[in-house]
Amino acid sequence: MEEHLAVKLNKTIHQKARLGIMSILVASEEVEFNYLKEKLNLTDGNLSSHLSLLEKEKYITIKKKFVKKKPKTLCQITEKGRQAFEEYLENLEKIIRSLP
Amino acid sequence: MKEDERREALENIELIKELVLQTKKHVGSYGGGWISIIWGIFCLTGVAGQRLLITHGALVGVWWTVLTIIAGLGTYLVHKRHLKTEPIKLQNNYLRYFMRFWIPLILLGYTLATFIALLSILSDQYISIVILLVVSTGYIMIGLMFFRGILYMGIIGYVSSIICAILFLEFSDIILGSLFGVGLIITGLVINKQWKNT
Repeated sequence: MEEHLAVKLNKTIHQKARLGIMSILVASEEVEFNYLKEKLNLTDGNLSSHLSLLEKEKYITIKKKFVKKKPKTLCQITEKGRQAFEEYLENLEKIIRSLP
Repeated sequence: MKEDERREALENIELIKELVLQTKKHVGSYGGGWISIIWGIFCLTGVAGQRLLITHGALVGVWWTVLTIIAGLGTYLVHKRHLKTEPIKLQNNYLRYFMRFWIPLILLGYTLATFIALLSILSDQYISIVILLVVSTGYIMIGLMFFRGILYMGIIGYVSSIICAILFLEFSDIILGSLFGVGLIITGLVINKQWKNT
């Protein structure tokens, strides 16, 4: 029996908020926590939990630093994350092409 | 079921496209507005100073060189400030890339101007024409590679430089300096406005 194409989609990335995070990170080198929060319209707690999940999968790295005595949380996509995102995109395209 | 999958896939692709585009737009206009304004003021101040304070001679060269150093320093400071304060860092540091592109072009412009001044190949009045032709060439190259808007600015600059050389040589520095100066300031303001909306 043919495997459903949707099954192949990476569940970690497929969730809307995490897909948004990955899309922003893939187009930049390093992004601040607050920028992601504002762009994706998420709460601190919500964004933190999504970031933790992506970090656990080693798709992103999170580091904290101080700029003018203010703490900043910076997120960066990893090579593994970039590959997973590209693979996810390919699978999305397959789904679209699979239907007439 | 398959139709739902496809609809969701299309929605996700739209979301990705929108976010990637927004991020790139934000990153692309990174400090560029202020830098454009600095160089616009450089053009206007340069021409005004050349006409009002210094009429001719080697001092004109010194005047423009000092202004170039000040504008270059301003560009560097804007770049440094944005690197510190911006919420997004660049993937392929566009600004550094542009600086690498513009510095050789500025040097080329100065070399040609020096040759014209020292060797008396052409009248000194052609110096501004030659420099602005070099700058316009830079705009056209960047426009062809990246941004369509800059390509049009390059074409306008190129055509107006040639028209000035043929018809208004005596006032070419005022006309072209003002045109480029005002053009750069307007471009800078537009970039800053777009950037605030991203």
